[in-house]
Amino acid sequence: MNALPVIELVGAGISAEVGAEPLLRGVSWTVFAGDFWVITGSHGSGKSVLLETLAGIRPCAAGNLRWFGQPFQVTGSEDSGQSALRRRLGLVFEGGGRVFSQLSVAENIALPVSYHDGCSMGEALYRTAPLRSALDLDRLAAAPAGRVGRGWMQRVALGRALALQPEVLLLDNPVAGLDPSHLRWWQEFLVALAAGHPVTHGRPVTLVLTADDARPWDGIGRQFAETRDRAWQVLAEPVPSGLEDAISQRPGLLSPTV
Amino acid sequence: MDELAGRLGRRVLGQLEMIRQIGAFTLITFGVTVTKLGVAPQVVRPLIREQIVRSGVRLLPIIAFIGTALGLLIIGQTLRLLHQVGQQELVGSLIVTVLIRELAPLTAALVVLARVGTPTVVELGTARALGEVEALEALGIDPIHYLVVPRVMGITIAVFALSVYLLLFALASGWLVSVVSNVSLPLGTYLGQIAGALRWQDFPLLAAKSLTFGGVGALIACYQGLARPLRLEEVPGAATRTVAQSVVAFLVLDAVFLVLQLLTFS
Repeated sequence: MNALPVIELVGAGISAEVGAEPLLRGVSWTVFAGDFWVITGSHGSGKSVLLETLAGIRPCAAGNLRWFGQPFQVTGSEDSGQSALRRRLGLVFEGGGRVFSQLSVAENIALPVSYHDGCSMGEALYRTAPLRSALDLDRLAAAPAGRVGRGWMQRVALGRALALQPEVLLLDNPVAGLDPSHLRWWQEFLVALAAGHPVTHGRPVTLVLTADDARPWDGIGRQFAETRDRAWQVLAEPVPSGLEDAISQRPGLLSPTV
Repeated sequence: MDELAGRLGRRVLGQLEMIRQIGAFTLITFGVTVTKLGVAPQVVRPLIREQIVRSGVRLLPIIAFIGTALGLLIIGQTLRLLHQVGQQELVGSLIVTVLIRELAPLTAALVVLARVGTPTVVELGTARALGEVEALEALGIDPIHYLVVPRVMGITIAVFALSVYLLLFALASGWLVSVVSNVSLPLGTYLGQIAGALRWQDFPLLAAKSLTFGGVGALIACYQGLARPLRLEEVPGAATRTVAQSVVAFLVLDAVFLVLQLLTFS
């Protein structure tokens, strides 16, 4: 395989709290650039904690985490090198995406750009306008993010994660509880992201997604894994009827929307 | 007896641990303030301005009222009393000692704590409970830099500014009450007595006290809201702890300043 490893877990223990009993043990797993992983498992099986560990929010209970070939450790304060590495990964939390309820929809998406690029909020709002449009969030731009519907909140969180143009996007159960129209939108958008969407200037994004149910992602995800009984198991690699088929079945999917 | 001693001991140790944690939180905040001084100024500066407006500008009317009331009560009454015993020349010393060195910074800090401390705990506690802190971390935004530093800086500056305004309102209303109550004290003499009683150390003392009270109150509020995970139902308890701990901290710091003052002024 020519693709580069972007995230590696080596013998990792995944624990919800420091010192607590690990939810998953001995996870050795590599995510390569261009992968589209779908991780399934029942509630409480450790999917969300696994994703937060991958994102560097929680420390590994055991073993090691590497990002883009470099060891990463969760520390209280990050140096500029770690901070730069972190910006290459985006994380979308589940259940409304933990949007900043004090800010508007547009400000949520613009905040990381303003913070990291040192530009004013006004300029960041202007720069993220195409992304907002691609997410169909224009009409909600001025609304407080905490007051929009759950499905739209999840898109705000996606926009916020994409605003920094990450190479890897981690999505924690993004379609849980969404209606069929939102679900369809997510499926199509993520397929386009994996192939290279205009919002990422055509650059394919590596995706790792968790789900309660794998069925919505059949034929879309490329690699599947499961968390069950404190164990990590890769189910299929790769799925034959994968991304290319999904794209071919949805003509116009990659047409520029921004 | 042993049980009582044990409970007392646990309580004292618990308080010492709390002081240690607030101290650690203070050092972390100070470290982040220094190391991220030039980071994201376009984001942080508006947040500091917003905090100054919220903790300072919006509290100006209540500070004006309290300052005027203090002037009427303390300076007015003192002037009348001193006039009766023919010791009007002591008015400057009394004003400097009571108002400038003690009441102005303490009152301003207590007003800001009462009006802004609790909302700060609620906001940060809610942000923590809703997972917004982890969301900031995931975006590479230091939560201390984004949530704590602007609040601490804004509240600190606000308490200092409000102390000065409170003093000005108190001095003005104190002189006005002397005019109304027929105490023969011309404005020039009144101000001259105050100027005569002031020492150069009073200016840095007023600044140091008000900045310290503001900073400590803000840090305690931020610590209670942010430093440990809170469930939503725990937020009101944290707000109450903030007020109690801040008041105790102000009084302890006041005593420390008094000792320093006695050492440097003698």
